Amino acid sequence: MSNLATPLNPTKLIQSHNQVLLFPKGGKPSLAPNEWSVWNGLDEANLPEEYKNTKALVPFAWWRSQIDSENKEASVIDKAKQGQIGVWFAADDDILKHEDVIEAGKQYWPLVGAYFPLFRDGRSFSTAALLRERLGWDTEIRMIGDVLIDQLLQGARVGFDSFALRHDQNLELALKQFDLFSVTTQNSWRGKRSLLATS
Amino acid sequence: MYKYDHIDQTLVDQRVAQFRDQVARRLDGNLAEEEFRPLRLQNGLYLQRHAYMLRIAIPYGLLSSRQLRTLAHISEKYDRGYGHFTTRQNIQFNWVTLKDTPDILAELAKVEMHAIQTSGNCIRNITSDAFAGVAGDEYVDPRPICELLRQWSTLHPEFAHLPRKFKFAINGAKEDRTVLLCHDVGIALKKNAKDELTADIYAGGGMGRTPILGSLIKTGLPWQLLPSYLTALLRVYNRFGRRDNLYKARIKILVKALGSEEFARQVEGEWLHIQNGDDNFTQAEWHRVAKHFTKPAYENLTALTNEQVITLASEADKVAFARWLERNVKDHQVPGYASVILSLKPHGSVAPGDATTAQMNAIANLADQYSFSELRVTHEQNLVLADVEQAKLYQLWQAAKAQHVALPNVGLLTDIIACPGGDFCSLANAKSLPIAKAIQERFDDLDYLFDLGDISLNISGCINSCGHHHVGNIGVLGVDKDGEEWYQITLGGEQGNDAAIGKVIGPSFYADEIPDVISNVINTYVRERSHEESFIATYRRLGVAPFKEAAYKDKNESAKKKVLAIGENAL
Repeated sequence: MSNLATPLNPTKLIQSHNQVLLFPKGGKPSLAPNEWSVWNGLDEANLPEEYKNTKALVPFAWWRSQIDSENKEASVIDKAKQGQIGVWFAADDDILKHEDVIEAGKQYWPLVGAYFPLFRDGRSFSTAALLRERLGWDTEIRMIGDVLIDQLLQGARVGFDSFALRHDQNLELALKQFDLFSVTTQNSWRGKRSLLATS
Repeated sequence: MYKYDHIDQTLVDQRVAQFRDQVARRLDGNLAEEEFRPLRLQNGLYLQRHAYMLRIAIPYGLLSSRQLRTLAHISEKYDRGYGHFTTRQNIQFNWVTLKDTPDILAELAKVEMHAIQTSGNCIRNITSDAFAGVAGDEYVDPRPICELLRQWSTLHPEFAHLPRKFKFAINGAKEDRTVLLCHDVGIALKKNAKDELTADIYAGGGMGRTPILGSLIKTGLPWQLLPSYLTALLRVYNRFGRRDNLYKARIKILVKALGSEEFARQVEGEWLHIQNGDDNFTQAEWHRVAKHFTKPAYENLTALTNEQVITLASEADKVAFARWLERNVKDHQVPGYASVILSLKPHGSVAPGDATTAQMNAIANLADQYSFSELRVTHEQNLVLADVEQAKLYQLWQAAKAQHVALPNVGLLTDIIACPGGDFCSLANAKSLPIAKAIQERFDDLDYLFDLGDISLNISGCINSCGHHHVGNIGVLGVDKDGEEWYQITLGGEQGNDAAIGKVIGPSFYADEIPDVISNVINTYVRERSHEESFIATYRRLGVAPFKEAAYKDKNESAKKKVLAIGENAL
């Protein structure tokens, strides 16, 4: 197991997944085949060949550089128009500075992700909460990176409905994490606090 | 006091079940220690020097006799026959096992208690005035807001993994008895001109390595809007607080880096979008909790003067009883009643804030007999019976004396605040308890202590400052120098409305020098004070210089002797 005392290099945790856990709002958690590959954006300036024929989550910063660039890859926009591109937000991406980009992205991205460099780094919880309540993002948001079963419930409540768990995690156990609590004492994306929900 | 309804009870029961499963996974090797750590911390479980320590929340310091009996039972069954009351209105057991912890939490849940968020990088147990609801100087009873925010912050998903721990204090009185300005967020409750309950918000206070007093960032916030405002505040911190350096991760560093005005502006900017949301508290929610904080069934009594109360005592007891009345008994809102502080600071025999199983059971009985079955825990690590009939004070004093909790030293030099220090805590650089003991033994003369009057002496075993040394009139901090335990002295700290951070006077001392150093500082005060001037007032008038000179007097002399000895040998 990696040493988790220090934040990991992103490449280590951008893993490929055969399966992801889906938990739509109002629905039930289930495992589903994964269609998306995540490009870490580290080593090359342009989307590597291996991502060209698959649905790809690309770094939000890279997407911004593409749409701003004079030499944008036409193929990327074409790919996006076919619903083959989504973005993932790094933990230190200040999404509120790019509301316009995200608004425009709604027409392209079927999926966005938010990255956890370390399971106990909670910044992406606020990213998901802001995407849902401020930016009106109403399709899938995926938790990626150092995603452990004991953070799923928190993630599900702030706005995530899709989870790519770290490879050593027990997926059967993961499915059982969402109904541990039948009550809540503050509102979340999934519903109002029990007191208001029942009254 | 607040009574759980089915929502609260279900939540703590399900939390126990969740933790039981996490502990099982840890014990069977399916959960790595590094990944289990935040999970156990958010259930109050630390791994200490010798064993696990379980920190149990006593929300805003309020405790029933039934709950105290459960704590006594836990101390006997799972620990070594005592518990330690902390500066944040928690109780700690130092010798529990990991395997037993889910059972302990289940026993706590039966009496509406838990250890949720007593540690970890999340919103911690909310603290308040130990005299809430009875203090004569109260603007507003803070307990309903404390309870509403306890519930709001419990298992808050967005703020489960903040950059660092996050402490709320809430005060509703003229005098601050909560160390409000040394909290990440301090909430000062008031009534406005229209008699509406509002909150002033202070942010970015804290002790630790960089002690800073909180800055006022919002005034007159209607109480209903606390959840949305605090969400905005915590969201700014969660997103932008530093995570690269443990020592710079508290909100105080962010507030300092941005400046409090810019921080407040960012919070306002965030709040603008959510202030009208349904996160905010409703009147129905207020009633749901506030109905539990009504006044107990007070008798219609005539107020007694101190002289009248003293006449209750036998001749032999009069002097000692009068002393206790002077230091350990406080005025009450209701005629004929008083609040009593039971001192957990006997001189030199146990650690400050410790109570044995037998004491906890006996004190629970005292609460039943004298104070509507309720108690409070103070951040100075003493216990309070808040609603005692003045006419029964002598009886209570006798019973408290039999339990060794009637020493009349509240607010005096030996009412020492101390963390468990290096005897228990794995973070500590040095021991605190032997220092507290040595000082209490040195100053074991009540006549002298009474003559000195109000002085606070606080001891922390490391810079995490659990012993609040920064705000002690005299602060003692354990430091590690080349593997040896040294102690640094600060002077001029103060809690309350005139809160101040003490100043380090210079190089640190060995443990066995500390009683002499304290004596020298105290002697300077006695020599320099004008009539009835308190230690802190004298310090503020004279500044640090005469105290500092006195503190190093012996050190300089012993250094001189050393030089002479070398000189003679050289001859």
